Amino acid sequence: MWSSNRSMSSSLGVERTKKKMNKDKIFKLAKGFRGRAKNCIRIARERVEKALQYSYRDRRNKKRDMRSLWIRRINAGTRLHGVNYGNFMHGLLKENIQLNRKVLSELSMHEPYTFKSLVDISRNAFPGNKNVVVPPRKVAF
Amino acid sequence: MALLCGSASVTPMFLSHNTNVAVTVSASTKSSFVGFQFHLPKLSFSSSVPTLSPTSFRVRCQEDSSAAATVAASAAAPVTEDPRFACVEPEPRFKGPDIWNKSWYPKAADHVNTEKTWYVVDATDKVLGRLASTIAIHIRGKNLATYTPSVDMGAFVIVVNAEKVAVSGKKRTQKLYRRHSGRPGGMTVETFAQLQNRIPERIIEHAVRGMLPKGRLGRRLFTHLKVYKGPDHPHAAQKPIDLPIRDKRIQLQK
Repeated sequence: MWSSNRSMSSSLGVERTKKKMNKDKIFKLAKGFRGRAKNCIRIARERVEKALQYSYRDRRNKKRDMRSLWIRRINAGTRLHGVNYGNFMHGLLKENIQLNRKVLSELSMHEPYTFKSLVDISRNAFPGNKNVVVPPRKVAF
Repeated sequence: MALLCGSASVTPMFLSHNTNVAVTVSASTKSSFVGFQFHLPKLSFSSSVPTLSPTSFRVRCQEDSSAAATVAASAAAPVTEDPRFACVEPEPRFKGPDIWNKSWYPKAADHVNTEKTWYVVDATDKVLGRLASTIAIHIRGKNLATYTPSVDMGAFVIVVNAEKVAVSGKKRTQKLYRRHSGRPGGMTVETFAQLQNRIPERIIEHAVRGMLPKGRLGRRLFTHLKVYKGPDHPHAAQKPIDLPIRDKRIQLQK
């Protein structure tokens, strides 16, 4: 296929070879798409362009998403010990423990006793704000 | 296996806790923490030995007066040492999956439905919204450290005495439940009291469904909620435990 285009290009110009290459590249990137987007070039070209834009944006978004996932996991892990995420991180900051959130989330899942010791360190450093305002109690009519 | 990687970078205080983990985990496969159902792998005692820079690799470097000679590959050219690879080990000490540099994602064995906890809660005189919020958190799995948003890691929740759930203020006569059949003029409006007389389970189901994520996974999570009218439920075989409620204002004051 490649050689036949080569022989034709000498008489018909270079554009024909380039279009065939581009189509192959696009179909290769369009594998797994839904419906006509994987088979028909006009639709596939649009969807592949969009897919590449999404992947560019999501390479940056992935870093944000992973960090928020670590924070949610750490929050759940510390609440098992009665401390919420904000107070926990503030306590670690005060003790100058520079473990990052990725490692902290893995510790909270796989090393529960180590994580408990970290929570205790944080609680000693920052016991939490005592002056919490309690809203009025709800009554049924 | 979890202790081998990265133990060199952890302070000595953690190593003493790691030995604690090695002793207690070998006794039981499940951790004693509430809701922590992660199947920890078998750990070996040799991992708790504190490993600093391995001295067995320092064969030829000690003769060479090159800088940063902590570990030098014997295959590397002794004349010019690339300082970029001064700290790279020729063979990794730990052979296994890298769990410290990759965020954990649950395998299929980590979320089988038969091994999940079942909770039971009595809805008598509990404020509707606060109860639904606690239930939704437990069903979604947000109280577990192994929470993953794309995977169903939560527990099952049984609600009994659904007809006795309470609301504050004048909501009993003023809160409206609407539904639309899709046809013009097909809107049905009911008050809280009317729906409670008709189908009391629907009140709690409606509240919890609004707090679960909407989508394929949310619909599946909703099937993990079981609401019953009277005080008994048919799930005694699952041995449900009491739902731990931390909200202090969930009990309605009369």
